[in-house]
Parts: sequence; C-alpha cells; structure tokens
Amino acid sequence: MAEPRGPLSLIARGVSFAYPGADRPALAGIDFELPAGRVLLVVGPSGSGKSTLAKAIAGLVPRDIPGTWAGTLLVGDLNIAAASLAEVAAAVGVVFQDPGSQLVMDRAEDDVAFGLENRAWPLEQMRARVPLALHDSGLAGYERRRGTHLSGGEQQRLALAGALAPRPGVLVLDEPSANLDPAGAAALFERLHGLKAAGKTTIVLVEHRADLAWPLADLVLALDDQGAVIDLGDPVTVLARSGSRLGHAGIWLPGAMAAGPRRAPATAAQSLVAVREARFAYQRGVPVIRDANLVIRASERVALIGPNGSGKSTLLRLVAGLLKPTVGTVRLAGRDPVRLPATRLAGMVGYVFQDPELGFIADTVAEEIRLGMDVAGGRRAAELIDRLGMPLGRFGSRSPYQLSGGEQRRLSVVTALARRPRLLVLDEPTFGQDRRGWETMVEVVNELVGEGTAVLAATHDERFATRVADRRVEMADGWIVTDDDRDLQPRGTQSWHQVID
Amino acid sequence: MLTPIDLTTRQEGSPLGRTSPLVKLGLALGWLVGLLFTSQALPPLVLAGIALAAGAVLGRIPGRRLAGGLAPLLTAAASITVANALFGAANLDPSASVLLTLGPIRLTAEAVSAGLAVGARVVAISSVGVVFAQTTDPTRLVDALVQQARAPTRFAYGALAAYQAVPRLAQDLATLRQARRVRGLRRSWHPRLLVGLLVRSIRHADQLALAMDARAFGSGPRTDFRPIRWTVTDLVVAAGGLGVLVIVLGLGRQL
Repeated sequence: MAEPRGPLSLIARGVSFAYPGADRPALAGIDFELPAGRVLLVVGPSGSGKSTLAKAIAGLVPRDIPGTWAGTLLVGDLNIAAASLAEVAAAVGVVFQDPGSQLVMDRAEDDVAFGLENRAWPLEQMRARVPLALHDSGLAGYERRRGTHLSGGEQQRLALAGALAPRPGVLVLDEPSANLDPAGAAALFERLHGLKAAGKTTIVLVEHRADLAWPLADLVLALDDQGAVIDLGDPVTVLARSGSRLGHAGIWLPGAMAAGPRRAPATAAQSLVAVREARFAYQRGVPVIRDANLVIRASERVALIGPNGSGKSTLLRLVAGLLKPTVGTVRLAGRDPVRLPATRLAGMVGYVFQDPELGFIADTVAEEIRLGMDVAGGRRAAELIDRLGMPLGRFGSRSPYQLSGGEQRRLSVVTALARRPRLLVLDEPTFGQDRRGWETMVEVVNELVGEGTAVLAATHDERFATRVADRRVEMADGWIVTDDDRDLQPRGTQSWHQVID
Repeated sequence: MLTPIDLTTRQEGSPLGRTSPLVKLGLALGWLVGLLFTSQALPPLVLAGIALAAGAVLGRIPGRRLAGGLAPLLTAAASITVANALFGAANLDPSASVLLTLGPIRLTAEAVSAGLAVGARVVAISSVGVVFAQTTDPTRLVDALVQQARAPTRFAYGALAAYQAVPRLAQDLATLRQARRVRGLRRSWHPRLLVGLLVRSIRHADQLALAMDARAFGSGPRTDFRPIRWTVTDLVVAAGGLGVLVIVLGLGRQL
C-alpha cells in the first residue's frame, strides 16, 4: 500500500507481441536490462511497436489489449504478464500521449488522488501525498483547479502527478510531449530531469523529440518498423555506432536535421488573403483573436507560430471562411469567404486539420478522394495518393478511420491538394510525426504545392517553419505580435505597440 | 452550459451545500411527484418561491446566479403557458367562459387557468433544479452515489470522466461541420456527422478505460479521498423539504 519503495529494475527477455490479425509482429524478440533508477529511451518510426512495449510494461498488453504474447518482462521480480492488476499497479505508473483522455476527475487534487483511492491508501496518507505529487510536477497550488480548464502542458503534468503519487517503482511515459507546444514540452522534461536526479523511480520514455529525450537517457533502445531491435546501448555509443541506420529507419536524432535550404521570398505581389482589424470571440467570452491584420499574397509560404492557445487555429479558420469574425473583415481573393458557397470555397481553399480524422467525410479511401471532385480532380487525387505511397489498389477500399496516423495525414493532404486550391491551410502538419512523416510533409509543401498557391501553416515546429516558409507570423494571446512581411519591415513592430496600448 | 458550475466556497459551505446530494436529489423527485397532485397555479408558485428563498438563504447562492440560471427556464415556462392557453382543449368547449375572440382564436378562462397551472409547475421544477445545480458539485454527487447509494464505481466514475469529454466532443462536432464545408459539402446537420462523432467517442472511451486501468482502477478495494457521511443537516433538510411540500399542497386543497 503506502510503504515507501525504491525504484525497480526492468528486464525484457525475448518479448514478442502480435495484434490479432496483423500480418507482422508489433514486437519481435526484445531483450534489454535496465538497472533500477535509470532512464530507458525507446525510439523507432511510427508503427515500430514502441507504444506496445510501453503498454506491456504498464501491464495493459496483453491484459487489456489482447494478442499473441511471448517472452518475459520483469519489473523488479514481478512477471508483468502473469501478475494481477493490483500487483502491476503497485509497481508501475503510466502517462499517455493524449492529456485530455487520461484525466478522470474534475479537480486536480481529486484526479491525483484517484490512483491512490484505487490502491486503497488511508485518507491521511492521501491528504499528505497529493500536494507533494502536484508540487513535484510543477503544479503547486493547483489543487482545486479543473483539469478541463488547464493548458495541454499543465494537463500532462497533472497526469504525471497522478502517475507519481503512488510512488511507482517504474514510471512509463508513452509519447508524453506529442501533443504539447515547445514550452509545455520543455516544462515537462524539466520535471523528468528532476525525477531522474531524485532517483526515486526508474523511467521508461517513448518520445519523438530527440533533443529533449536523448540527454535524459541512460539506455537507448532503437526499434525498426518490424518491431525488432536495431541497437541497444548508452546514447553516445548508439549515436556513434548506428546513427545513420537510425536516421535511415525514420528515427529522429538529437540535433540531426540539417537546416536545409530556406525558401527565397515570393515575388508575386497579388494579394490573396486580407484580414483587417479582425477580432473573434466564442459566444460572449474573451476574444481569441484581437485586432488582427494580415495580408498574404499568391505563392507566399507563411508559418504561423506561437504557443498553444495563442489563437493560431482560430485565425486559420477565419482565413478559410469557417468562422466569421466578430468584428473586422476577412477577404479571400476579394470575397468574404464565409459567404462563399461551399463548392466555391472548396475550390479555393485546401485545409488539413490538426486531427485529420475530423476532416474525413466518406467510408472508404477511394470515396474520400473522389467525393465532390470532377474527373480531372479525381485523376489528380489518384496520382497524388499514389505518389505519397498509398496506391488505391491497396488502400482504396479501406476505411479512413482505420489508417495509421501518418496515413490519415497523407490522405488529408491529398484531398486538400487535388483541387489545386489557391490557398493551402495546414494546422500543425508535423505534430507527432516520425522523421519520415515529417519529410513527406516538407516534400509535399515544397514540391507538390503548385506555384501560385499560397500556404498558411500553423506550426510549433521550428525546423518545418525554416524549411517550408518564406515568412513568419507570430501570435501570442490572440495578438499578432511579429510579422516579418517585407512590406511591414519599416514599421514591423506596429502591432506590438497596439498590445502595449 | 456544458461545463460544470464553479461553486463559491460560501455556496459549498452553506447548509444546503453540505447536505448530501442524494437528499437533495430525493427531495427534488419528491417535489416533482407532489406537483402532479395539484392542478392549481398558486401552490407550485409558492413552492418555487420557497425553493428560491431556501437557495438564497440556506444555499447562499448569489442572487445574480439564481437569476442567471432561472432566466432561460422562465422564458420556457412563459412560452409553455401561452401555448397551453392558446391551444388548450377547453377553447373548443362551447360551455367554457370566453375571455376573448380574435378571428378564429377563441380564448377561454378554463384554458388560461390550465395554461397557468402548467407554467407554474415548470417554474417550480426549474427553481428546484437551479437550486440543486447551484449547491451541488458534480464530483460530490458522484461520491454520494458511490458511497451512500452504493452505485457501481465503474459506472459512476466513468460517467464523471465522460462528462469531462463533453466540451471536447462539442468542439469535434464544430470541426467536423467545418471540414464538410471546406470540402465543398453543405454544412448542414448531415447524419454522416454522427459517424465521425461516434468514432471519436469510442476512441476517447477506449483511451480513458485504459488510463483508468493503468491507474489501478478496479484492482481491489478502494478508499475515499472525499468521504461523505450522513449528518443531522441531511435529516433536517429532508424533513423540512417534505414538510413544506405537504403543507403547501394541503393548504392549496383548502382554497
């Protein structure tokens, strides 16, 4: 129950797992030994079984998620696959990727206490432990706050507090920063460094953000897309010995990405988008967009940057005619986009949503790219999807909802580009992407987007912004705070003064 | 509307705030049943007044919140009254006393009083509902259901967690509709939206169930971080609430 317990060692011997009906295993013969109190980093391309391994250590595979299991996984001297849920829960804590779907209770302190209640901690010990766990996660004083009112980064640290509260011997983090902005991810990793230094728990980390994750690791386990081990060792050795193989397999490496050529600024002068003094508020709430001014010309590539909640997604929706400004005007090729008939709008704007799944409108991939398209458009779509490695012969009859995350995003790109829109809107196109998915997106914007098409991409991803954009617009708290548009240069800080006023 | 009300510490610490949500829920149901036994307009209005007064004094609900919660419901009650008065069956009864004739419209006193009685009941039910919502935190309601009514924990806490997902599903729905428009389809309430919403809900529920299991939910006996016990306040509020109901309905009969 509540007796203090130290970190536990973790040993995998020949761990293999296959999901029912899958044509290849998710994990194929994994072996490693992690001493107590150390940090294991698991890296691999999408579909390499990293998350499956994390869920296996957490006792959820094969218990909650059935499949064919082989091998032994020992946490301390506990055989995870054979242990009871209570025994596993006593040893292991987990933080998942999506901050929104792991909070159970309404208030922060209740949510942290949830795991302790389930482990039957006495009331006095819970009351003492909950504030400490919040404090250790950087959320001191958040006891009565509502989870749904916190930022993604805060929610993720709340999930961390909930996992830490029962003092787990092993803490498993399954892509904990995938949905966070850079500031949120940095704050989370600061806490993880603190945990490592305190040495009270062993950590298993599955993470794409190489620059944050590699410095934390004592041991790196690299998996390929067949679920087999590419290399295992300390980070320096793995990087020296197998760096290029890892890169080739689509794995992010720390500091690895060369900046690449930066696009030359567009020369066309014809203005395509004009936002003037636009303000937007949901119902009677505080404005999400405040007095925004933005001009985008044909063939310009604009990166819209800024933290989560700064209004980027809302500005994209205003420009694409999906929301109507509360005050001010938005013009797309001289027309008010909100008043355009849907068919006209669809011909002008291609939109890739942050969560591509929300953009799907049909039951099969083939239908998805054909719907509402003329013959020429349908042909272009078929060519595009072929080029992105999803030939209709193999993917056409599948449901869009059953594709992997990377495949869903590619399908979404195809539907957005097939009509040759004048404006391509991308909302966080590289979120949670492995290196291959990332390179595909860069290639799409740099090669597949027709000349003359303007691109507006909301992104946290510095590398993506550098590689595809010729202009940056930065938002904070609903304001456009900087814009390196060449026409604004002499008075480029104008909008910032408006903030101060 | 979709997010829970933030109760002030004064509201939470008030006698009604400290009363078990089960007692309040039971009383609300009791009043609801009791209201079926009156066909007059006055007793429900008196009960509504008492409920609101109790909310203000015993629940320490700020007047602005009472009014804010009640306003939309009162509008509904007013329109129900008018509709019942205009379209009441009594208007067709030749023996009913006519108040007003306007072209084809014949308004009788019987239909008006029937309409008022229905409207008054809606006002009473709304008042009880607002007082309940303004003195009861959703978490405390679930705690009471689990600890005092022995509701199954998986059902109760699952429902609470699902409740947190409502704002998010509302957002998803908005995005699904926007996606249809930007793909050239009319942004109508197409049944197809349900597919997208269903996929999202199932995915969310799966992840949540996994996260709950990963936090040892259902692994054995559990303890309570927010214990709730029956108190004297519960007894007083229950007795008082039922007493008021019986007295008001009884007096209504005598009139």
